[in-house]
Amino acid sequence: MNMEYKVEAHRIMSISLGKIYNSRVQRGGIKLHKNLLVSLVLRSARQVYLSDYYGGVCVRSPHAGGVEWGEGDQMDSDGSRSTPDEHGGESALVSDDSVRIPEVSVNGPAAAVEGQDIEDLAPGSDYNCQQSPQEDVGSVKTAVSAKRPDASPSPSLSPGAADAEGENQEGSGSAETGGPGSGSEHCVSRSENSQQGSAEVTATCCTRKRGAERSASAGSPVKRPKATAVPALPPVGGEGEGPEDMDTGNVSSLITIFGSSFSGLLSKEGAQPATDSEDSDSGKICCEQMLPNLNPWSTAIVAF
Amino acid sequence: MTSPRHVDGAVHAPSWNEGEKNHGQILVAPLLLHLLLFPSSFSALKPLFFDPPRAFAWRRKLLGHVGGADGEAGVAPRGHTAMAGGNDFQWCFSQVKGAIDEDVAEADIISTVEFNYSGELLATGDKGGRVVIFQREQESKNRPHSRGEYNVYSTFQSHEPEFDYLKSLEIEEKINKIRWLPQQNAAHFLLSTNDKTIKLWKISERDKRAEGYNLKDEDGRLRDPFRITSLRVPVLMPMDLMVEASPRRIFANAHTYHINSISVNSDHETYLSADDLRINLWHLEITDRSFNIVDIKPANMEELTEVITAAECHPHQCNVFVYSSSKGTIRLCDMRAAALCDRHTKFFEEPEDPSSRSFFSEIISSISDVKFSHSGRYMMTRDYLSVKVWDLNMENRPVETYQVHEYLRSKLCSLYENDCIFDKFECCWNGSDGAIMTGSYNNFFRMFDRNSRRDITLEASRESSKPRAMLKPRKVCTGGKRKKDEISVDSLDFNKKILHTAWHPKENVIAVAATNNLYIFQDKIN
Repeated sequence: MNMEYKVEAHRIMSISLGKIYNSRVQRGGIKLHKNLLVSLVLRSARQVYLSDYYGGVCVRSPHAGGVEWGEGDQMDSDGSRSTPDEHGGESALVSDDSVRIPEVSVNGPAAAVEGQDIEDLAPGSDYNCQQSPQEDVGSVKTAVSAKRPDASPSPSLSPGAADAEGENQEGSGSAETGGPGSGSEHCVSRSENSQQGSAEVTATCCTRKRGAERSASAGSPVKRPKATAVPALPPVGGEGEGPEDMDTGNVSSLITIFGSSFSGLLSKEGAQPATDSEDSDSGKICCEQMLPNLNPWSTAIVAF
Repeated sequence: MTSPRHVDGAVHAPSWNEGEKNHGQILVAPLLLHLLLFPSSFSALKPLFFDPPRAFAWRRKLLGHVGGADGEAGVAPRGHTAMAGGNDFQWCFSQVKGAIDEDVAEADIISTVEFNYSGELLATGDKGGRVVIFQREQESKNRPHSRGEYNVYSTFQSHEPEFDYLKSLEIEEKINKIRWLPQQNAAHFLLSTNDKTIKLWKISERDKRAEGYNLKDEDGRLRDPFRITSLRVPVLMPMDLMVEASPRRIFANAHTYHINSISVNSDHETYLSADDLRINLWHLEITDRSFNIVDIKPANMEELTEVITAAECHPHQCNVFVYSSSKGTIRLCDMRAAALCDRHTKFFEEPEDPSSRSFFSEIISSISDVKFSHSGRYMMTRDYLSVKVWDLNMENRPVETYQVHEYLRSKLCSLYENDCIFDKFECCWNGSDGAIMTGSYNNFFRMFDRNSRRDITLEASRESSKPRAMLKPRKVCTGGKRKKDEISVDSLDFNKKILHTAWHPKENVIAVAATNNLYIFQDKIN
């Protein structure tokens, strides 16, 4: 049953991403209403998808963490990011399936988001990754980063993270993340997470797509799937905001992107074949990579 | 503000008064321009060129015209319809306008349909930016069977595609809405809008022409002064009826987002226009200024959660208007309360049924149309699967809910994939507010009788387009064994959608737009 939902959710997410991507070339400009609705569907699907993830992941987090961790290290391409280990571990926890998560966290989400746009999107704490070290806000969802250069701390963190997940319902998880926060340039996705209980579990997983600076700096070829990544932008919401922010995060990101006429995306598109047929594929790939990185502040499992 | 090419299609400076114009050019020039741009529309406009727009002479030459010819037999026997009771409608086919061929040019797709206040005129707008106005024939004793058929009265190019260089966006010429103004003199006025610009058009008749100018000959050429030996004064002579459409006002550059509604106020002096995030109030005489009365754009666009989907002025109270949102809520605002009506006076929302939650709950709850009843006491909203009638005095739930095509609820995912879930259906009241109508897929449209609570599904198709043929009720089989004459959900053609319908304000005549065809049905009761 869960698998069905997950598969369905995944499919819907791919379709939504494809729609948003195609809306760029539609005559008459981008339709705000339609894209808002698509982003809402994307959000709902993501909630379901991630909730399924976490349901399965938490059970075996230590292992998962370790496994992911290794991969993450290999993937780490941006040495400049020195996110705390725990973050990395957490992100590892995010998904078993998506091996690419660590890589994604580094490049993926970032890739999706246009450089400058991202900056615009998260005027606050979220994007401090490379700027101000401390952005612990309430619930810290340290995203990204898989950049963990040293793998050693990670295993230890995983269990820690797991614990945190299990117990922390408030976002106090930030506490632990805050610890190593010094010098950590983790992007923090604040807000909602603190509100949503179970979301905290996911909170530990890094999801965010850090945008601009990542994409800019990473410039990694992994951006491929990003073609349709626009919609999967993490919410920016302020701390303490409710689930509403999550919605807005997506939408706002989208809108910002739209507003900037996808200048960033265009550059990205050059790197990838941008055909309709590939959109769905890339959407899928993008989804897989980005899902774990998407901010899982959406906690509550959507009732169906 | 107004580029010369928009005025009358001919390139000369805009002028408010008629002045001396070459009247013949008024009608021809925009059409020529249009034909150059849209060759596919030639067929639709052919009659206009080859036959003067005389209602009687050339209506039968319209392609695809299947009208009630005289003396034709085949009157369907009266039978029972699904709507027995007070409103015993027996809908019969009357006319269909538009080309027959399967290959539909996108520019010919009808995007709005609207009767004027008397019902004498019926305007349609299409995706190619054209407006076609039909006029009802006077009932004549010679042909009692044709109870006033609609024939083309005027056709003009209302909007052209434009390009916003600043944002590198193309502005579609599709006509989103047409709204008639109440008639105050011999001419007719209507407002037509695309995504960005609203235009006020004057449609007037000319059946006299000045002849016998002193200084010009009949062709318009100046006469040789030496040849002028006497003085003569022009005389008005009758001519073939010519219907001219000229843009009288152009209201531009006031909307950042796509305009979705316009609504003429009951004071007949102002009107409102709504886009995704803002509503502006205009005065019909003033084009360089408008008042912003609603602005739901958040300071931080990232916090956007809903957009405006439709807006309408109250039919009697000129200070009241409503607007609907993508979240399924309606806000009623009173312009006396504040200059900026961001705070609503009434808020209409029905609590969501948590058991029917799905991925697409938000999309299907988005309201696509809102219409006040003629009485002004009720309003009707259309979301994807249902039509709701609200009493303005009760905000917490609608007084009536009608399911349009509930069988689609299980198909929402497929409808999302093929984009059909984003279709914006409209709805309309009949003149007495006793019945409501809305469209569906497979060229079906639905009517609900509010008094008897009965409903009927009818189809607009060429097959049932025999003159005065009575429409047979259709039924969609939702499961189990399909009975004869029923159609299963999976066989529905989702490309054939009826988004726009209109009901004559006084009589039981309806106009239904099915892609590029306009069907007119009449109630058989004489």
